[in-house]
Amino acid sequence: MLSIPIERFKLDNGLRVNLSHDDTTPVVSVNLWYGVGSRNERAGKTGFAHLFEHMMFQGSEHVPKNRHFELIERVGGSLNATTWFDRTNYFETVPSHHLGLALWLESDRMGWMLPAMTQEKLDNQRDVVMNEKLQRYDNQPYGDWDERIQAMVFPDSHPYHHTVIGSMADIEAATLDDVAEFFQTYYVPNNAVLTVCGDFSRDEALDLIERHFGEIAPGGEIPAIPGDPNLDPVIGETVHERVEAEVPLPRVLMACRVPTYTNEGFYAADVAGSVLGSGRASRLYRSLVRERRVAKGVTSFVFPLTSGAGMLLAWATGFPDGDPAELEAALVAEMEGLASVTDREIQRAVALTETALFRQIEQVGERADLVSMFDQLFDDPGRLNGEIERLRAVTPEDVSTFTERFLGADNRAVLTYVPETAPMPSVA
Amino acid sequence: MSGSSRSVAPSAGPVRSFDFPPVHADVSENGLRIRSVQVGRLPVVTAMVVLDAGEGGLDDSRAGLAVLTGDSLEGGTAKRSGVELAEALEAIGAGLSVGSGWDSTTVSLSCMADRLDDAMGLLAEVLIEPAFPDDEVERIRGQRLAAIRQREMDPAGIATTASRRLMYAEEVPYGRPLGGTVESVGPFSPGCASGFVEAQYRPKGSGIVVVGDVDAGQVRSLVETHFGAWAGEAELQPQIDAESRTRERGIVVIERADAVQSEIRIGHVGQARSTPHYFPLRVLNTVLGGAFTSRLNLNLREEHGFTYGVRSRFLVRRGAGPWCVSTAVGTDVTADAVREAVAEITTLVAKGPTEEEVGAARDYLAGAFPLQLETTGQIAARIAELLIYDLPDDYYGDYRDRIRGVTLEEAREAARQCIRPDEMTVVVGGHPEEIQAPLEKLGWGPVTVEAAP
Repeated sequence: MLSIPIERFKLDNGLRVNLSHDDTTPVVSVNLWYGVGSRNERAGKTGFAHLFEHMMFQGSEHVPKNRHFELIERVGGSLNATTWFDRTNYFETVPSHHLGLALWLESDRMGWMLPAMTQEKLDNQRDVVMNEKLQRYDNQPYGDWDERIQAMVFPDSHPYHHTVIGSMADIEAATLDDVAEFFQTYYVPNNAVLTVCGDFSRDEALDLIERHFGEIAPGGEIPAIPGDPNLDPVIGETVHERVEAEVPLPRVLMACRVPTYTNEGFYAADVAGSVLGSGRASRLYRSLVRERRVAKGVTSFVFPLTSGAGMLLAWATGFPDGDPAELEAALVAEMEGLASVTDREIQRAVALTETALFRQIEQVGERADLVSMFDQLFDDPGRLNGEIERLRAVTPEDVSTFTERFLGADNRAVLTYVPETAPMPSVA
Repeated sequence: MSGSSRSVAPSAGPVRSFDFPPVHADVSENGLRIRSVQVGRLPVVTAMVVLDAGEGGLDDSRAGLAVLTGDSLEGGTAKRSGVELAEALEAIGAGLSVGSGWDSTTVSLSCMADRLDDAMGLLAEVLIEPAFPDDEVERIRGQRLAAIRQREMDPAGIATTASRRLMYAEEVPYGRPLGGTVESVGPFSPGCASGFVEAQYRPKGSGIVVVGDVDAGQVRSLVETHFGAWAGEAELQPQIDAESRTRERGIVVIERADAVQSEIRIGHVGQARSTPHYFPLRVLNTVLGGAFTSRLNLNLREEHGFTYGVRSRFLVRRGAGPWCVSTAVGTDVTADAVREAVAEITTLVAKGPTEEEVGAARDYLAGAFPLQLETTGQIAARIAELLIYDLPDDYYGDYRDRIRGVTLEEAREAARQCIRPDEMTVVVGGHPEEIQAPLEKLGWGPVTVEAAP
């Protein structure tokens, strides 16, 4: 059983703080989860959470543009941020004697970001984000799969209907006022979790946190998520979409709604997803890749989402002259086949997850991120220590019940990519 | 806290020393080198076998053989079918991971410490008694051919492949894609795999690195138990004479009519791992394009917004690997981005980095060192590097001092010796009708257009 030590505090302004000590290596990680992601974006403002994440690196009142990177890189630290459906996270890992620097930088942009915003910085980062979309989505084979799948699994009115990268038209239309409003609404101490993990002295860390973050004023109440996060547990039908595109190989993606991460039913979904697609003894690999050889590669993944429903996704990539219908039928058969799983399969799936989790938390940055996550999503950072036991408690009956309820034809989005036959006309 | 004290970055606390964890070196009865490091923070272990079996030792007709053989290890052993092998490994939470490179093949796994005995047994079985059944080898070959097809349609892959091909003289292995070509992969058979194993997968010439919650005595005894039946010596790999294809500068456009972005690669033949400029070069490359605050990224991304990111890398190998600047930019700013990148490179070589830049890069690299050694996998990979390049076991002991000791003059000398702006080849994968004329207008070098593969 995992026993990561976690001490929990709360500042007067509402900032939740976790300290997790480990002095094996003289490094320390500072991790912030803001409770805002793409699900908080209103129509016409998609992609804002992510654009805003870029703006957070453009300087704050006491930190000029690029200085954040310079200061952290100067000491050998690493830093980044990511935006996701339910949150935005920011993190630095630094040699442990520079903890004060990392906390000062994070606090300055939490408390003093707006005075440093300019139109020029916004224009520059809009260009960077549009290039990011071109590079990571538009110029990639299958690059638009998430946009299509999300739209198939979640209805128009649902906050997971649109992607994190958002619409380029919305990004184009972003103004400085939008940035300011977003900041004042969501980037407030009462909407954030701060975790410090690694090599530090407890009293010094608490003192630094109070000193740097304590004077930041709390914000108002966080607005409700726009649209309607409530959903039927299942899609209600099988939705098909077929795309002819410049892709090298046919690929079939299959997604279904599953219980949210905060629902106890999630663990059966997670185990089912692992039995289906984790490792080379998994059902998809064994059947589609090794035995029947209809697929070159297979993947499955359960999205731990929290608004209305999560999502189980599996995909199979075929061979050049393969038949996508055969791939689809094979995926369906393996998914439905999860109605009957063995104890050994569950044990294997959990053993793989256990090793992966331990390897992940070897890094204080990853460990801090998990602690922040469990605090933000569950109000219980120590929940990390029991995660493997929750998976281990899943029985074959649980997986069977889950499969009958969620992996049937009434809860399926099927997206098929086929290589186009003629070259696509050039679009300037 | 008052506004005035907030305006100054806090000063650092007392430095905690960091030493690379002690490496215990040993040799097994059969000549297999053993390196172990005890790290007890979590009950996990990484075990990695390093084989002198890289793609760099293969001529063009056998290109991809090391990769294919490594891939085929999952096909099973004399005792177990492929399915049974996967089940046995995953039952103890271990996944086999094979890394095939130009200089070596590494076969590794990570597991919980209390399952190490079983895991080492399986690792040894895979290496000593691989079976290569016909149908599994046939399957792996088909998957590799499909992967080659995928690469040939991936914009970044197309540009990188072309850049390497245009960089190296004919028949230099580094000029081809690591996993081989359709022609060279076609004839791959079980006999090819077992022949390669026969020649290169041997204890003498190889090493095993074990890092984690286990002591040196246990490691030695596990190695003798499980690898004791392994015998022989790996064939010596040929030296690589990594000659350039050209000494002339030029721009080559790889035609992609439906490109929505241009993939740019700029570079020439770089340095071997043994280069005397190794440490100065790391500092220099950090200034050029090895960090967010590098000259290239601040210019192309933060000043101009041309790209999501740009980087420069010296890929050091046994022979001289490539030096390559890579980025992806909007079609309409392609020529501007090439102009800016070439200007940054040329200026850096002509005038050298500044004292302040060199200081910042030294601090970055020296400070980052412990951050890159948190996990058993990271430590194992570092030690594997010592085995592959015949570096001493105490190499990392003064690593940070050697980084900190790089002088401004050494960094400038590295720039002059290792970067030759007049010999760079610029490869642009993109929309020829829109980028060719602006690239010609730069007047930097001749522009030629090639069809995509």
